[in-house]
Amino acid sequence: MRSAPGSIVFEDVSLDYRIFHDRTVTLMDTLLNLFGRRTRTERLRALDGASFEVSPGESVALVGPNGAGKSTTLKLLAGIFEPSEGRVSVDGRVASLLDLGVGFHPELTGAENLYLNGALLGLDRASMRDLIPGIAEFAELERFLDTPVKYYSSGMFMRLGFSMATACDPDILLVDEVLAVGDASFQKKCYDRIYGFKGTGRTIVFVSHDAEAVLRLCERAVWLDRGRVLKDGPAAEVLSAYLSDASSRHVPAGVSPREWGTREVEFVRVMLLDGSDAPASTFRPGAPITVRADLRTRFPSGVDGLVFGFSICRPDGEQIVGVNNLELNQPLISFRDTARVDLKISLDALEPGSYLLGLALTDPVAGKDYHWQDWFYPILLLGERMEPPVRLREAFWTVRSSSS
Amino acid sequence: MTGNWGLMLSGLAAKELKVRYKRSLLGFTWFLLKPLFQTAVFAVVFTRIIRFGGSLRHYALFLFTGLLVWNFFSSSISAATTSLLDNVRLIRSIRFPRAALPASSVAANAVHLMLSLLVVEALLLAYGHYPPVSVVLLIPALALLLAMTTGLSLMVSVWNVYYRDVSLLLEVLLLAWFYASPVIYPLGQGMLPPSIEAALRFNPVSGFLEAVQSLLYFGRTPPTWSWISMVCWSAVLLAGGLAVFRRSEPAVVKEL
Repeated sequence: MRSAPGSIVFEDVSLDYRIFHDRTVTLMDTLLNLFGRRTRTERLRALDGASFEVSPGESVALVGPNGAGKSTTLKLLAGIFEPSEGRVSVDGRVASLLDLGVGFHPELTGAENLYLNGALLGLDRASMRDLIPGIAEFAELERFLDTPVKYYSSGMFMRLGFSMATACDPDILLVDEVLAVGDASFQKKCYDRIYGFKGTGRTIVFVSHDAEAVLRLCERAVWLDRGRVLKDGPAAEVLSAYLSDASSRHVPAGVSPREWGTREVEFVRVMLLDGSDAPASTFRPGAPITVRADLRTRFPSGVDGLVFGFSICRPDGEQIVGVNNLELNQPLISFRDTARVDLKISLDALEPGSYLLGLALTDPVAGKDYHWQDWFYPILLLGERMEPPVRLREAFWTVRSSSS
Repeated sequence: MTGNWGLMLSGLAAKELKVRYKRSLLGFTWFLLKPLFQTAVFAVVFTRIIRFGGSLRHYALFLFTGLLVWNFFSSSISAATTSLLDNVRLIRSIRFPRAALPASSVAANAVHLMLSLLVVEALLLAYGHYPPVSVVLLIPALALLLAMTTGLSLMVSVWNVYYRDVSLLLEVLLLAWFYASPVIYPLGQGMLPPSIEAALRFNPVSGFLEAVQSLLYFGRTPPTWSWISMVCWSAVLLAGGLAVFRRSEPAVVKEL
């Protein structure tokens, strides 16, 4: 098979880890094993026959819940792991932004660390000498190159790591959520450099939980779940499929969905719809979110005065919005047996990204919690790229004093 | 990208040396101070207290010569044992031949060995221990020593990833190994019962100690058995080390 620099072939790849239930495995365990006692080790299949290809110049995002095999895939592409089965072929020079600045030794100065890192990457002192001014300039650390890196702030450390990793003109860039570091202006600079790579036809493989960043950087996304490729296609399509998938509710690290209550009144089915009544989990700016809920009650006489609330939380569980029809002076809900209720939510997404929608059915008068679904429905709120970025509101000219 | 071995080894070894002597007042001179102190202690113990080394002329110089070789061997192995564990994040974030990590521990200690051999040679000359013409044989002997130590370092670095006991066990083992090696006593001087002496020749480091002591301290060509021992042990341990490392590398990276 012919391949050009920047192409990636991932063919039927599986990778097993050994996991220990008791993390400390000692010689004693092995000796005991010889006499028939088994240590409880287990194989964990991180990737299970995953296949995809990337052509030179493509930007591909890997999405999926934690433990889906995204980072393992990046490590295979970086050549750090070897597949247990299958074939990984990567053509061209690879720069991996998997963990920034890790090769740096705290006692050595910035420059010494750069030379050492270069040596590990196969760059001799002469080529490093040529690269260092550019690296230092990008990291804004020219004045600190002779300072041991243990005196660096974590931001400085990361900046140096990022500049080093991207300095060597790669064909393929592997990025693993490292950009969540550093101050906002440096983050922007990092993204700009990555977009720059994209502009010059470099291949990018990007792992991020930040759906917004994925959509901005990648045209294509590969959805991994439990080590398999579930869907591969246009980024927006794959992302919204992923986010609306029930099994991927554990969106980012943090909270997991939970359900509780007496269930005397309960949600039977809930659908999220966009402005044109199509099922969705990705919402464009200004588009309302419609929650279509089918409710059922076990009270023979039906419910009277049901309170239907919702919450919107950050992926870490922090609640941002939490209201109900009672608080907003909207009619309470009464029905017998079943009902379909549409809850229409209009939001201003000041900070686009992924959020978790929660729903609740309560009766505050009776003091009853019927059915709560906390952090239950992942939604992705897209932001608007403001164009122009500054809009003139008003301007006034006033002459305060004048001499004639 | 396989990397450039020379570049990587010198880079990593230089780092190890720089880091070791950063913030130390005496800095690099420690490479000499350590064996000097050891020599002083052993010399006092074995000439004043146990009265054992008295029969050797300039017993302290004999000790010093052997200690340099032994220190190189034991420090390299100890440093290599934890070299993979100490660099977990590095190993798991960039791709490079990981064998460079244990190998660089050996390289860093080799720098110490070469420098201190120059010093010991100057002392030996000053006390009238002139080397024979065959002193050039020191070069192949040291090359073999490097090979054997590297092989063993590769092995222990891998094993220690699987079993942390290895580094602890090695500490004890090296102590016993030290006394089972002709550092504080010479072989072939009739100081030990013949049966014990014959057994000690199978010790992997005996041949090397014998060769270096013969060339530098005794001023004679090393005996044949020492060459056989050096060649065999370095071949076996280097080949074994490379095989172990190559076979376990993919698994070790995941295990770390």
